Order: sequence, then structure tokens, then C-alpha cells
Amino acid sequence: MRVLAARVVIVVALLVVWELAARAWNPLLAVPPSVVPPALIDLLMLRSYPDLPRHLLVTVREIAVAYVLAVAAGLGCGFALGLYRTLGRVYAPILAALYAVPAVVWYPSLMLFFGLDSASKIAFGFLLGFFPITLAVLAGIRQVSGGLLTVARAFGAGPVTTFRLVMVPSMLFTLVGGLRAGLALTVIGVIVGEVLGSKAGVGALINHAYGLLRTTDYVALVLVTLALVVTSDALASVVERRARRWAE
Amino acid sequence: MTVPSSTLILVEDVSKRYLTSSGPVSALDDVSLRVDAGEFCTLIGPSGCGKSTLLGMIGGLVTPDRGRILIDDRPVSGPDPRRVAPVFQDAGLFPWRTTVENVEFGLELQGVSRERRRQVATELLGPLGLSAFAAKYPRELSGGMRQRVAIGRALALDTKILLMDEPFGALDEQTRVLMGEWLLDIWRRTRKTVIFVTHSLHEALALSTRVVVMTARPGRIKSILPLSLPYPREMESPELVTLRAKLWGEIREESLRAMGEQARTAS
Repeated sequence: MRVLAARVVIVVALLVVWELAARAWNPLLAVPPSVVPPALIDLLMLRSYPDLPRHLLVTVREIAVAYVLAVAAGLGCGFALGLYRTLGRVYAPILAALYAVPAVVWYPSLMLFFGLDSASKIAFGFLLGFFPITLAVLAGIRQVSGGLLTVARAFGAGPVTTFRLVMVPSMLFTLVGGLRAGLALTVIGVIVGEVLGSKAGVGALINHAYGLLRTTDYVALVLVTLALVVTSDALASVVERRARRWAE
Repeated sequence: MTVPSSTLILVEDVSKRYLTSSGPVSALDDVSLRVDAGEFCTLIGPSGCGKSTLLGMIGGLVTPDRGRILIDDRPVSGPDPRRVAPVFQDAGLFPWRTTVENVEFGLELQGVSRERRRQVATELLGPLGLSAFAAKYPRELSGGMRQRVAIGRALALDTKILLMDEPFGALDEQTRVLMGEWLLDIWRRTRKTVIFVTHSLHEALALSTRVVVMTARPGRIKSILPLSLPYPREMESPELVTLRAKLWGEIREESLRAMGEQARTAS
């Protein structure tokens, strides 16, 4: 209760300070908080950007496609590298090195390859989501206890049964954590891709508003994007909690 | 006592070498052993004498380089949970399974129906003293209880043979003695053939019908000590005190040799 009260106090104080400072300095650039709610209502009533739903749909679709691809490729690569030692020894270090490169540097070439439309955003979202999922699978496989694998073998389990009854439950926490991180990064990848250059999607609207110095609309769009991100993460956390309860 | 017709496990001239960074190490060298049905046969010896390797071979987890192992006249070619049930030193329970689910594990792998395996497991929990803990997870159990769950998981397979690799090695002395008494009770009621690996002289003398002393590297059988004393055994009785001294003499010699060897390889 006390923590909550302290949080409210801090947020309110910040907003007040911001409001005063913005009014005193430059209301166009600093956007005082008081002008945001009307702009947000305008946006949601489809007055400022009438085609917001279409753009939102584009973004959500890009995220969905990019995430499905990232999960499929991440699980595939992770298990291939983790279960086949030679493959893992050859490629896992390369993968880790690639992961260390800031992903944004790939974006220009992705735009060249895939064009300005959805494909390049999907590719970028995929690229960001793929790594944490692959690495989570690799980390998860390392967590599986050799002792438990021996127990399974001694009780007559074949490779498929061992995978289902021992490996998956052993690595579930790590795996689900990686899938959640992968989703968050896919969302970021898609939106960053849109902001860096696109014709449709929430990122394109953000770019448009910002370019025309429609700063209050811009803030309203950012809030909508925030809602999108928070919703996707909330969904992921529900799934994660389910998995945890099952694993325990 | 050793009537050929009742021989259940036959170990014939098995050898096993492991490759280590400091060259090949001979874990077992030409070991032969005959175990009769219903025996409680204990393997004892210094660390690295190949007791666990021998147990692993009987369980089909380790393949011998030479020689073969027959169970009921059929050669062992891999794990066979319909004939042999294992109990491991560190219990090896699945942390995401409850007590009853852990006990059910082997039956689940054999495709036994959900109701049937739940019934078998639940009936086993009584004599295991775990009825009240059926729905608990391993982390909620004491070390002794966990080991009983592991034994229950092996008993659920209802095999003729039970392989136990230092099952009470991680427990404190008191729990260990009590678990030994409890195991004896289970063994006498089910009449399974038990092969038991231990470091404890007390356990070997209190439980076994036969104690097999093994030598340090290369692992060979040094001597076999039959014990025909009735159960429960009075550990302070003159016979057992004498046997204990004899057994200790044999093991001491081997352990000293093993320690000497370790000191040599270290220097």
C-alpha cells in the first residue's frame, strides 16, 4: 500500500514538474501532459488519423508473422545445435558472436533485400526474436541433468519419450522465459523497422506525426504503441505463469 | 547354497576400460559372478573399484568391452525395466513430479493405463511410509523420504531384480540404519534379488546374504563372504564382530592400495 502511494506521488509530481517546465519552455517540443488526453481521444475516435485501425492491423500482422517464424526457427536451431554436439560446437560460437552485433546494423540491408513493405519489418522482428529463443533453448538443454537422463534410459525411455518426459519439463522455465523475451524483442523489431522507414503500420504513423511536428498526436501514438507492447507482454506472462504452474 | 538351476544373474569374464586424459583406466578386469534368485548380494570395495560399473552393466547402462552378462540365461543388451529395476545414489527423482507421479514413472513408460498405474503406486506408498506425501514434490521431502520414493519407483516395476547403487550413501548415519532395516523388511516380504553397492561395512553385514569384496584398479573380485545369519541381525554378536573384523581387514588392504595409487598418480 505504501509502495503504491509512493509511486503515485512520484508520478504526479513528475507530471506537474513536466507540465510547468513545458509551458515555460516550448509547448510544441516538450508537449505538456495536459494536452495529451484530448489528442489521445482524437486519435482513438479516429479523428486525427482515420486509418489507425488499418495501420494497427498491419503492425499486429507483422508481429504475428515475425514471431511465428522466430519461434519455429529459434526452436529448430536451438534443438539442432543443442542436441547434436558437433553442430553445436561449430555453430553456437558463431551464433553468440552474431548476437553481440547490434541488430540495427542489419536493418539497411534488410530493407534493400525485402523492400519498404512489411517483409523487411517481419525480417527485422524475426531477427531480433530469433536469438533469445535459440539461446534459451541452448541454455535449457545445458540445464537438463545427466542423472535424470540416465534414470529415464534405465527405465526404458527412448529418445522421443526422454525428450517429452524429461527434457521439455527440465528446461521449461528457461524455454518459456526465452519465448517471452523473444516476443518482446520481435515487437520492438517490427516497430523500430516501421519507424526507420515504412509506408504502413503504427511506426509509419509515428514517423508521419513526428515529421510534421504534430507532437501531441505523436505522443498519443506512442501511448497506443505502448499499450500494444504491454498487452503482448501481458499475454506472454499469462502463458508463462500457466507453464510454470504445469511444470511445478 | 549355490544351486546352478536357481542362478538368476551370471556375469562372465567381463572387462571394461575407460579412456581418461591420463590414459586408459581398467575399471573391471575379468570379473565373474553368479547371483542366485532371492539373494541380497552386496558389492563393497574402495572408490574406483568398478562396483558401479558392474552394477551399470547388469542394468544394461554400460556395455562391457569383453565378456557378457546373462539374466535368466538371456544376454543383457541394454536397459530392460521388465527384468531389472534401478535405484540411484542421489534418488534421481523428477522435480516436477509428485511422489505418486514419480513412483508411476516406469509404469507410464510401459504404457500402463493411468488408473491402473495410479492404483499400483498408491498401494506401494503405504509400506513406503509415504501415503501422506503422495501429492508432495521431491523438494518438500527429506533425503530419506526421497530415497524411499526412488525405491518405490523401482518396486513399481515389479521386477525380479533390484539394483541399488549406494542408495543410502547421502543420508546421515541414523537415517541410514533405519532405512536399512526398512529395506530388509521390504526385501524379506517381496523376495526380490537385490544387488547392492555400498561403502558401509555395517550395511553390508546387516543386510546381505553375500558380500563381494572388490579390489582397487583394476577392479577384480577379491573375496566373497557368505552370510547365513538370521535376520534381524544382532550387530554386536560375536559372529558378526568376527566377520566385521575379517571384512575390514580385506577392505582396509584394498583401500590402502587405492590410496597409495592415487598418491602416485597425483605426484
